[in-house]
Amino acid sequence: MKKIYNDEENKFSKMLKDLKDLPNIKAPDNFEYNLLTRIQNKNFGTVEKREPQFNWIKFLAPSAVAVSVIILFFIFLPSSQENNNQLLQQTKLQDNQSAVNNSPSAKNELNNQQSVPSNTRIQPNSSSLLGSNNQTVKPSTRSPLYDSRSIKLDDYISGANKNRSNTNRGNIVNNGEESSQYDGFVVSEKPDKKTLERYRAVVDSIKKAQLKADSLKKVQK
Amino acid sequence: MNKLLTEFSDEELIKEYQDNNTPEAYDILVKRYKDPLMNFVYRFVGDRDICTDVVQDTMIKFYLNKDSYRSFAKFSTWIYTIAGNLAKNELKRRRRRIIFSINNSDDERSPQIEDKMFLAPDKAADGEIRNEIIQKALLKVKPVYREVVILRDIQDLSYEEISEITGLAIGTVKSRINRGRAQLQKLLKHIYRE
Repeated sequence: MKKIYNDEENKFSKMLKDLKDLPNIKAPDNFEYNLLTRIQNKNFGTVEKREPQFNWIKFLAPSAVAVSVIILFFIFLPSSQENNNQLLQQTKLQDNQSAVNNSPSAKNELNNQQSVPSNTRIQPNSSSLLGSNNQTVKPSTRSPLYDSRSIKLDDYISGANKNRSNTNRGNIVNNGEESSQYDGFVVSEKPDKKTLERYRAVVDSIKKAQLKADSLKKVQK
Repeated sequence: MNKLLTEFSDEELIKEYQDNNTPEAYDILVKRYKDPLMNFVYRFVGDRDICTDVVQDTMIKFYLNKDSYRSFAKFSTWIYTIAGNLAKNELKRRRRRIIFSINNSDDERSPQIEDKMFLAPDKAADGEIRNEIIQKALLKVKPVYREVVILRDIQDLSYEEISEITGLAIGTVKSRINRGRAQLQKLLKHIYRE
């Protein structure tokens, strides 16, 4: 590469020599005097610093970008409105319930419940709810039905809930603050007569055995 | 340490002027660079009065913007950059003036080299005429090539310095110098016959 440039210089050698021999142009004698006069008089002419002028294009371009960013932000902003889907709400309720179980206060409550045997106590920090002796316990699910607004059909037919004040029933339209609940019917199945009779027979036999045991004790005394 | 200001290097002088605002340092730098800059700008613009104005403006710009000089650069390259930019702006202004001038005659527009190009070689060999022809041919070379040719072949600056002044890569500087020389040689073919 260097050789190429050297060859080129040889090619122009005569011309280059003439260019180097060109007479040096010198500044006029009054050059410095004129310069200092200009400086003293602050006559800087076109060289003086220019104030940046207001430019519409320079102003509009960034502001257009800013406005478009704001518009896009509002368009693609994830809506904060609650979803009215009942099924999704139900899962939310269950999540809240598990969150309550995970909280320290809920733990204390669980510990204070001495009536609950230790092998069936619910472990609050696991979703599968593993018991102390590795026995899995199903979490108690809350009924989706809103008690004050629902009717037990069997009771209604038999007339058992005559005295129940059911003020909220039918008040479907609410003001939006209250979390809406599922309105529906509860169909509770009655057990079979056969199984009932069987259980009754068992209970009767136990009672009879107990009576016999009592009479035997009296005889012994 | 009692060094005279005249013994200071360019970089030391500009530092002195920046730090202490010493007018003597400015004067010395003006004295050192007025002639080289006059030579550079004259070869580039081709008019002595315009050249004087450009160099004066260069010195005023140096006076006003002394703090924009950074010590990692050579002072010579910084001042040549200012002068080069002002000279280019002046050329553009002149070109615009020529385009919009109503009294623009053909004689003004066409360079007046051609008539002298056809001088007999023995006459062309005469020093003064030859220099005039070379200068006029130089003004016909494209400004991008002309600038680097002047800096290299007349001002005798290194490729690195030219690269700093023009803000071009060294390879680009070399190729531009080469093209500029080729253009000039072509324009001066009557003088430099093989």
